[in-house]
Amino acid sequence: MGDYGFLTALILGIWAYFSIIGALAGWGTAEALVSGFITGLVVGDVKLGLEIGATLTLMSLGMATYGGATIPDFNTAAIIGTAIGAAAGGTNAAELGLGIAIPVALFMTQLDVLGRATTTFFMHGAEQALEKGNLKSLEKWHLMGTIPWGLSRGIPVFLGVLAGQAVIDNVVNAIPAWFMHGMRVTGSVLPALGFALLLSMMNLNKNWPYALIGYALFAYLGVPTLGLAFIGLSLAFIITKNRGGVANV
Amino acid sequence: MSNERKLDQATLRKMALRHNITLQWSWNYERMQALGFAYSLIPAFEKLYDTNEERVAAVQRHMQFYNTHPSMSAIVFGAATALEESYAPDAAESIKIGLMGPLAGIGDTLQSVLMRPIIGVIAAGLAAEGSIFGPILMFFAQFFWFAIRFPLFNWGYKKSIGLISEMVGEGIINKITEIATILGLVVIGGFVPSIMAGVKTPLAYTKAFEGGEKVIAIQGVLDGIIPYMIPLLLVGFSYWLLTSKKFSPLKTLLALIVVAFAGAVAGLL
Repeated sequence: MGDYGFLTALILGIWAYFSIIGALAGWGTAEALVSGFITGLVVGDVKLGLEIGATLTLMSLGMATYGGATIPDFNTAAIIGTAIGAAAGGTNAAELGLGIAIPVALFMTQLDVLGRATTTFFMHGAEQALEKGNLKSLEKWHLMGTIPWGLSRGIPVFLGVLAGQAVIDNVVNAIPAWFMHGMRVTGSVLPALGFALLLSMMNLNKNWPYALIGYALFAYLGVPTLGLAFIGLSLAFIITKNRGGVANV
Repeated sequence: MSNERKLDQATLRKMALRHNITLQWSWNYERMQALGFAYSLIPAFEKLYDTNEERVAAVQRHMQFYNTHPSMSAIVFGAATALEESYAPDAAESIKIGLMGPLAGIGDTLQSVLMRPIIGVIAAGLAAEGSIFGPILMFFAQFFWFAIRFPLFNWGYKKSIGLISEMVGEGIINKITEIATILGLVVIGGFVPSIMAGVKTPLAYTKAFEGGEKVIAIQGVLDGIIPYMIPLLLVGFSYWLLTSKKFSPLKTLLALIVVAFAGAVAGLL
């Protein structure tokens, strides 16, 4: 184990590039679990990739880019975290990988904003093409819109993996223990954002009793997820049915 | 205007592919999915209009702001295709504006509130045990939402303008939204304590008893009052920032990082 060559960094950079474009198309390519697994295959430590992907997935529950909102990028984080954790090796590879992955996920929000903003330029390119009556050129601008999206993920992964060994040395030597602890706590606190986003979309002020039922079922009775879903579904049908089938929200 | 004509199957297939794969490929802050929608209609305009001027004017009509759940958009795109085919551009425009909001709500709730978290917990559990079915399950849970775009497009195309009366008029949108909301809230209510169970305080204090001392963990005291109190407070704090304070998700994220770091350094978390 140790440093990665140019080729490994390039392969992972290309995966990062296409995983976000695949996600825009609606395929599950930009999932931390999927990218953790793929990265594990590339660097030869599938178990580590699955472990890091699993932890990051639990942090990401409830988070989605509703209406184009920027959220932490756990996909890019899984790639870089798995690659660097595997390079370090040893028994605490997962902990080290996650210690890298969480700040990467947070930092990537800045590049997500940059990527989304840069694509505006392509929109204007398409508009100018339209003014000139050139539909072929408009089509090209649209398809080229994937470039800022892909680069905003591909470049940091390529550089991060290439810099692997130096980054590990920095982490091990330079980053103080309190920072690593702070990162771990931050990671465990992050799901609060996802849940708050969901609740704010579902009009909690009016519909709070349902959330309270779910909380009580788990906190006092330990009902697992699928059990919650069954109870929620039954409640939903009883309530909408008793109102004569047509809801008047 | 050109003489009226119909779109053949090959053209419809090409349009569905364009929309279902590339709708978001030029997503941007200004018009979001507008260019993707216009791009996907071009094959229709090439069949329906003879001159480049007419085609350009038709594309121009679809360059206005548009954004919705990309899978639900397939319904809208199907209906818009049917309306463009019957040379009713105004109806195509109004169906986009009328449906994008409600359908975004339904799509986000079903996909990101219900399906992804539920499957995510199962998939993460599998992966943590070292099973590659974890990532496979996660991939297909998302891919499912891509696959359904094709039947949704066909449905929207068949329904055309009837979509509005059927979905809004007969209250289907409201009913689905309400069912998804109730189901979603029950599940999230349970997720807050279960997913965030690890957020605890290590604080403790020593209490003197007759004949000795006893270390009392604050977490145990909190659990006695309300179980999972810290996760509830953190979600409540984030919710308050997002709604009352009108913070963006990004700003809320920064606030959470500050709280987590401050709590960690102070030894509270």
